Amino acid sequence: MAPSSATSPAGNRSGVQLSNTKTTVEFRAALVAMAIVALIPLGVSNPYWLGVLIVSMYFAILAGAWNLLAGYTGQFSLAPATFAMIGAYTTGLLNHYFGVPPLLGIVAAVVVSGLVGLLLGRAVLRLVGPYLALTTLSFAEIMRLVASNSIDITRGDLGLGVAGLLDSRIGWYYLFLGALVVLLILFYMLLRSKAGLFLQAIRDDEVAARRAGVNVVFWKTTAFAISAAASGFAGALYAHFAELVTPELGLIGQTGLIVSMTVIGGMGTLAGPVVAAFLVYVLSEWLRDVGGYQLVVFAALVVIFARFFREGLWGLARAAVQRWGRA
Amino acid sequence: MTLLSVRGVSKRFGGLVAVNNVSFDVAASELVGLIGPNGSGKTTLLNILSGLADPDGGEILLDNVPCQGLTPERLAHRGVMRMFQLTRVFRRMNVIDNLLVAGRALGLGADEALARAHALISELRLDVIRHLDAGQLSGGQMKLLEFGVCFMVPPRIALLDEPFAAVHPTMKEIMGDFIRARHEKGQTFILVSHDMPVVVELCPRAVCMNAGDVIIDATTREVLNDPRVIEAYLGGQAA
Ligand SMILES: Nc1ncnc2c1ncn2[C@@H]1O[C@H](COP(=O)(O)OP(=O)(O)O)[C@@H](O)[C@H]1O
Ligand SMILES: [Mg+2]
Repeated sequence: MAPSSATSPAGNRSGVQLSNTKTTVEFRAALVAMAIVALIPLGVSNPYWLGVLIVSMYFAILAGAWNLLAGYTGQFSLAPATFAMIGAYTTGLLNHYFGVPPLLGIVAAVVVSGLVGLLLGRAVLRLVGPYLALTTLSFAEIMRLVASNSIDITRGDLGLGVAGLLDSRIGWYYLFLGALVVLLILFYMLLRSKAGLFLQAIRDDEVAARRAGVNVVFWKTTAFAISAAASGFAGALYAHFAELVTPELGLIGQTGLIVSMTVIGGMGTLAGPVVAAFLVYVLSEWLRDVGGYQLVVFAALVVIFARFFREGLWGLARAAVQRWGRA
Repeated sequence: MTLLSVRGVSKRFGGLVAVNNVSFDVAASELVGLIGPNGSGKTTLLNILSGLADPDGGEILLDNVPCQGLTPERLAHRGVMRMFQLTRVFRRMNVIDNLLVAGRALGLGADEALARAHALISELRLDVIRHLDAGQLSGGQMKLLEFGVCFMVPPRIALLDEPFAAVHPTMKEIMGDFIRARHEKGQTFILVSHDMPVVVELCPRAVCMNAGDVIIDATTREVLNDPRVIEAYLGGQAA
């Protein structure tokens, strides 16, 4: 809980010093993890496992985006998968009906999902805790049902065929990795700026934030919009990777996975959720063979982590490193 | 010159009149003690002045401009800073970041905010704990931190709600010295406190409330010797 003061000599240095070293350490750890991910294709060429890792990266973006909203801003929305779905349908419909090229469609998806996120953020501004969770959950289900039932437009559960973007799986692998790294950099810059201070202040105590002059309305809606835009971006990429868009992207189970990844990795830490996305998704692929127990396992893990390890795997790893450093 | 003017402000909670037609002025650079037994309406009045509660009636002027109904964040930008009776800090952020939030939100640049945070940290003797998360501090240290937050950008008026309650004497002294030094430099305060010796020592003027009413507004000596004040406190204790 007290990384710098307890173990580093930073406390003795005089003059101006950076207070957000915590975020910097997490950012570097995340970059190291991504460097390892970049090396995996050198040893693994099995297209199935490459595919699993690509989907892991899709989830890593979603977990990172949800973490910004839930972990850093304290807004426990249950609609992250919905924004991925909105992004996927934005580029999917534009491509299917108007022949809009994927790159343009992806930009449109970011804008549209960001705007919908902004509106949702506005609508739930005064809601807290369970009320916020339930309202965003209803929103998520409504959007999914709309997508599923607008059969004339979306072809419903059959799904909508969309154009591909790259031919090689390796190409997709590094495209997703690049997207993930870019988002990590953007989130890092955001969190190191005054925005990072304001978002965390809102999470910790909204009244105290207002007393200190923080424009809570603006920053909350901004967090919703950014988180939604990043999720929509992931969904749009995924649409062109799978060459198919279905309402399943917005299933509650998908949000369940995103929440598991974030909580297990460590809410409100930059590296934890992103790394945990790989662990959880790969594990879920393994468990799939064992027979459909993955959601039960993850639900149990979420409860255990939320109860006993508030900072998730990241917190555990940091504690281990500190103990080792002191020994 | 009048900085804050409270004119006929009232606030009801159902049948209870928590603040009843309260009027008083605070001049620039004044340090006014606001006293009164528990439940007399002091915190409710500060809630109204800081935008956290809407008055049922009356008018509040800050620098001669009406400001009732403004949000707490707008009032913070207008220079109304308020310390809560029940301490409010950002528990999962460290001491420095707690201070930076106010500095940055009120318009300071990154370097300027950091420099001021460090100056406050040393003035309030928070050096040793400056990298700890606020949630790990003792109750008194949290109060000291919240006190510091109020002065990241010197406010037009600081509203302090029982800053000394349940605080270690050493920290009480640090806050007292700080208030005295800032007051000498012209900082305006309303100080709510139950600690009569401190009020006598710091505040030239006091306002006493009882059951929502202002019962006397005079020099602190006069107020403390007034039979109505003694009666109010004794009555409050008996109840
Ligand atoms: N939100 C509220 N709802 C109902 N009654 C309240 C509320 N806030 C304060 N009160 C009542 O208003 C009266 C004044 O309270 P308060 O302003 O906290 O007094 P003080 O700060 O002087 O102790 C008390 O009787 C209290 O119970
Ligand atoms: Mg009170």
